[in-house]
Amino acid sequence: MRSVRSTYLRAIGMRLLAGVPVFFLVTFAATALSDLMPGSAAQTILGDSATPEQIALLNAQYGYDRPAWERYLGWLGKLLQGDLGKTAYSQQSVAGLLLNRAATTFEIALLAMFVALLIAVPLALFTATRPGGITDTVLRAVSSTLLSIPIFVTVVILGFLFAIVLRWLPATGWMPLAQDPIGNLGFVALPAMCLAVGQTAYFYRVSRSEFVATLQEDFVLVARAKGLPASYILLRHVLRPSLPQVLTVFGLSMTHLLGGSFIVESYFAVPGIGWTVLGAVKDHDIPTVQGILSLTVLVFVLMFIVVDIGYALIDPRVEAT
Amino acid sequence: MSGSGIQVDRRGPQVSQPTTPARGPEAVAKGRSLLPEADAPTWFAFGFLALLILGAVLADWIPGLAKPNLEVGAFSGPPALTVNQLFGTDALGRSIVSRVLYGARTSLSIALFASAISMSAGIFLGMLAGFYRGVVERLVDLYANTLASLPPVLVILALIAAAGTSVFTITLAMGLLGIGTYARITKGAVISQAGRDYVLAARALGASDVRLLAREILPNLVPTLTAIVPPLMAGLIVTEGSLSFLGYGIPPPAPSWGGMIAGSTDLLNRFPLLIFGPILAIVLTVYSLNTVGDYMARRIDIREGQL
Amino acid sequence: MTGPGPSIGGNLLQVEGLSCEFDGSRGVARVLQDVRLTLGKSMTLGLVGESGSGKSMLIKSILGIAPRTARVTGRVVFDGVDLATLKERERRKFLGRRVGMVFQNPMTSLNPFVQVGRQIEEAARYYFKLSKDQGRSLAIELMATVGLPDPEDCYGQYPHQFSGGMKQRIMIATALACKPDLLIADEATTALDVTVQKQILDLLQTIQQERQMSMILVTHNLGIVAGRTDEVAVMYGGRIVERGPTEAIFHHPRHRYTEALIAAIPRTDQPAHTRLRTIPGRPPDILRPIPGCPFAPRCPVAEPRCVESMPPATSDGDGRHGYACHVPVGAASGGTGTPGLASTDAR
Repeated sequence: MRSVRSTYLRAIGMRLLAGVPVFFLVTFAATALSDLMPGSAAQTILGDSATPEQIALLNAQYGYDRPAWERYLGWLGKLLQGDLGKTAYSQQSVAGLLLNRAATTFEIALLAMFVALLIAVPLALFTATRPGGITDTVLRAVSSTLLSIPIFVTVVILGFLFAIVLRWLPATGWMPLAQDPIGNLGFVALPAMCLAVGQTAYFYRVSRSEFVATLQEDFVLVARAKGLPASYILLRHVLRPSLPQVLTVFGLSMTHLLGGSFIVESYFAVPGIGWTVLGAVKDHDIPTVQGILSLTVLVFVLMFIVVDIGYALIDPRVEAT
Repeated sequence: MSGSGIQVDRRGPQVSQPTTPARGPEAVAKGRSLLPEADAPTWFAFGFLALLILGAVLADWIPGLAKPNLEVGAFSGPPALTVNQLFGTDALGRSIVSRVLYGARTSLSIALFASAISMSAGIFLGMLAGFYRGVVERLVDLYANTLASLPPVLVILALIAAAGTSVFTITLAMGLLGIGTYARITKGAVISQAGRDYVLAARALGASDVRLLAREILPNLVPTLTAIVPPLMAGLIVTEGSLSFLGYGIPPPAPSWGGMIAGSTDLLNRFPLLIFGPILAIVLTVYSLNTVGDYMARRIDIREGQL
Repeated sequence: MTGPGPSIGGNLLQVEGLSCEFDGSRGVARVLQDVRLTLGKSMTLGLVGESGSGKSMLIKSILGIAPRTARVTGRVVFDGVDLATLKERERRKFLGRRVGMVFQNPMTSLNPFVQVGRQIEEAARYYFKLSKDQGRSLAIELMATVGLPDPEDCYGQYPHQFSGGMKQRIMIATALACKPDLLIADEATTALDVTVQKQILDLLQTIQQERQMSMILVTHNLGIVAGRTDEVAVMYGGRIVERGPTEAIFHHPRHRYTEALIAAIPRTDQPAHTRLRTIPGRPPDILRPIPGCPFAPRCPVAEPRCVESMPPATSDGDGRHGYACHVPVGAASGGTGTPGLASTDAR
C-alpha cells in the first residue's frame, strides 16, 4: 500500500515539476507586458493629463522605469510572502481581491461542469448502444449545432429568454453563496446554464465516441457471450474503462470554461475573475492582470494533478507504472 | 472564446458513425463525385462557405449593396425584401446585410492571416521538434503547454491591456497563440512517421534531413491538416467574435459580427429580429467549418483503412 | 446443475441453413452461406478454416452475438430448444448459461479495470444468485482447476498482472463458471507462445474429458485439432466444405481444399530445406461470390462446372464423412495423388 501511495505522490510531483517552467514563463511574460506599451508605461496608464509627479510616483511604486527582470524578481520575492501587489487604482490587495472573485467564477464553472456531465454521460451511454438510431441521429445533429454556437451568442439568447421574455431569472447581478444561498441560486443559474450548453454538447460527443470504442472491446463481447444483462454490461464493463478519457476532457475543459466565463460574467455583470480582468484591461491594471494569469496557470496545473489522481483511482494499471 | 479549440477532438478523428448507406453500382458508374461520400450537412457546409467567401470577396461589386457605414433606412428598421434591408437596419440605420458581409471579410481575413502565421511557424517548429527531439522538443513543448494552460481570450486581453487594441495586434496575437497547436500536431505526425519503413528506406538511400522532411514527411502531413485547419479557423473566428463582443476587438465603426451582436442586445426586447443576421452568420460559419473538418477527418480514416 | 435435455445421447447442437450477410459500402458481403452442422453430446469438434473463412462469425451467429449490422438467418437448435422460439433476451440468457466461450486474444478479452476473480464469478453469480462469498469460493476453485498458482491471491488481482498464458487460463475459468454443456474455444491459443499453446490445449482436453462437456475448437491450424477432436469441419468461403471423423479427414480427405490444407502442414519427418507447401491464389472475395465451389479459382483440378455450380453435399460410408466437391480426391474423374499443388516460391 505504501509503495502505491508513493507512486501517486511521485506522479503528482512530476506534474508539479512540469508546471513550474510554465508558471515562470507566464508570470514573467505578464511582468514584461508593460514594456509593450507604446512610449512610457506610466504615461500610458495615467493618460495624457498626468503630471510628472504622478508619473514619478507610479514608477517608484511599480518600477516601470526599471528593466523587466528586476521587476520580476521583486514580484517573485513578494509572491513568496503571499503578496501579489496592489491594484492600480483602488490600491486593494490583488491576492485578496482574486480570492474573492475566484470563488464566484469557480462556483459557476464547477456547477456548469457538473450539470454538463450529468446530462451528457447518460445520453451518450444510451446512444452509443444504439448507433444509427433516431435518438443517436437527432442528438448528433443537436450536439454539432450546439458546438457551433459561440458562448457570446448563447448568453444573448438565453439571457433574452429567461430574463426578458419569461422573467424567471434576474438578468444581471450577484449574491455571494455565503451570504444568501437561496438568492445565490437565482443568480448562478443563468451564467451556469450558458456555460453548460456548449460543455454538454462537447462532453456528449467525446463520451459517445469513447463508449462506442469501448463497446467494440473484446471484453464487452465476452460479457455479451455470458448473457449478462445490458445494463450490467454498460455499468461494469463500459462506463469505467471509458472514464479516463472523459476525465482528461474534463481537465482540459477547465481552461475553456474559464475563457467562457469572461463573456458570461461581463454580460450578466457577475463579479468573478472574467469581469475583473476586463476591468483591469480597461484600466491598464497590470498587477491585477498578472495576478489573474498566475492564478489561471495554477488552476491548470492543479486540474491536471486532480486528473492524474483520478486516473490512479480508476485505472488499476496506473499504479504499476 | 468557448469554441476556440473545443471543436477539435484531441484524439484525432472521431469514431465515424455508420456512414452513407450502400450505393449500388450506378453510383460508381457516375464517376468520381466532387465530394465522395458526402452527406447532406457536408454539402451544405461546403456550399455555405463558398457563398460566404464569394460574398465577402465580391461585396464591393454586389449591385445595390450599400457600404457598411452608410445610413440606408430607418433606425432599427424591420427586415424587408430589398437587398439592403433583408435582415433589417441597425440602430444607426445601416444595412445589416451589408455589415454581415463586410464583417465576414474582416473575420475571414483575420482567421486566414492568423492561421498562416500559426501554421508556418508551428509546422516549422513541430518538424524540428519531432525530428531532432532533445532541447528543441522541450522548448516547443513548453511553449505549447504554456499556451494550452491559458484561455486565448485572456492572453489577447493581456496583450491589449499593454499594447492597445487594433486589428493588427489581434491577428498577430491569435497567430502566435496558434503556433503551439500546430507544432504539437506536426511533432506527433513527424514522430509517428519518422519510424515508418518508407522514411527509413529513404534515409538508408542517403536522403538528407531537409529532403526527408520536405519530400517524405511534409506531404503526409497534408491530409491531417485539411482536417484540423477548418475547426481551428472556426475557433479563431469565435475568439475574434468574443473580443469584439467584449468591446476589445475590431474598433467600431468597422463592421464585426461580435460587435453587431453586442450592439443589438440593448434593443433586443424591442427589435429581436435585428440580431438574427450576425448570429446566423457566425453560427453557420462555425458549423460549416466544423462539418468540413469532420468530413476531412472521415476521409482520412477511410483512406487509412484502405491502406 | 446441467439440466438434462430431452434427447440424451443425441445432438447437443444442430445448425441448419445458417447464413449471415452484411451490407457494406461495396455491396452485400455473404459471410456465411447455408451452413449445416451437428455436434453430439460430450463430443469435440474441430472447426478449421483460414482467416476470413467465416468460422468466427459462425460461432457468433450461433450464439447471437454477431454485430448488430449482420443479418443472420437459419435454424439453430441447442439441446432440443429451437433458439428461434426464444426472445433475444431469453436466448442470450439460455446460451450464456449453457455455453462457455474462450476467445482468441486473452490480452483484450479480460476487462483491465475489473479484478479477475470478479470476472470469473460474475456470470455464475448472475445465473445462480450466488452470494459474494459463494462467488469468491467458486472463482478460487475454478482458478485452481485451470492451474493458476495461489488462486486465493489471484482473486483480487487485475489482468495486467498476469502473463498471456495465465490470462487464457483465467478466460477458461470464466467460461467454466456456469458448468456449461458446451465450451467453444475460438482460436484460443493463436495469440500464445508455442509451448504455452500446448499447455492450454492439454488443459482444455483434460477439462472436457473430466466434465464430459461438448467442445468446439475453432482454429486456422489443422495441426491443432489432430488427435484432440472427434470430428473436424473444414470451412472455406463461408461454407463448410467437408466434415467427418478426424481420422478420416486426415487420412482420406475428399475435398481438394482439405487436401491442400493437410499438405501445407509442416512435417518434421521431411529432410531439412524442404519447401513449405502453400496454397496458391487468394482467399475468395465474399463481396462477389461465384455461383460454384468457392475454392474453384484456386483448385488445381477445377473443371468448368466447379465454377458454374455448387457441388451437392455428398457423403461417404455411414454418412459421417460429408463433403461438397465435384472432383473429390480419390474419385475416378479426378487424378489421384496431389497433382498441381505445387510448392510456390517463397517470395
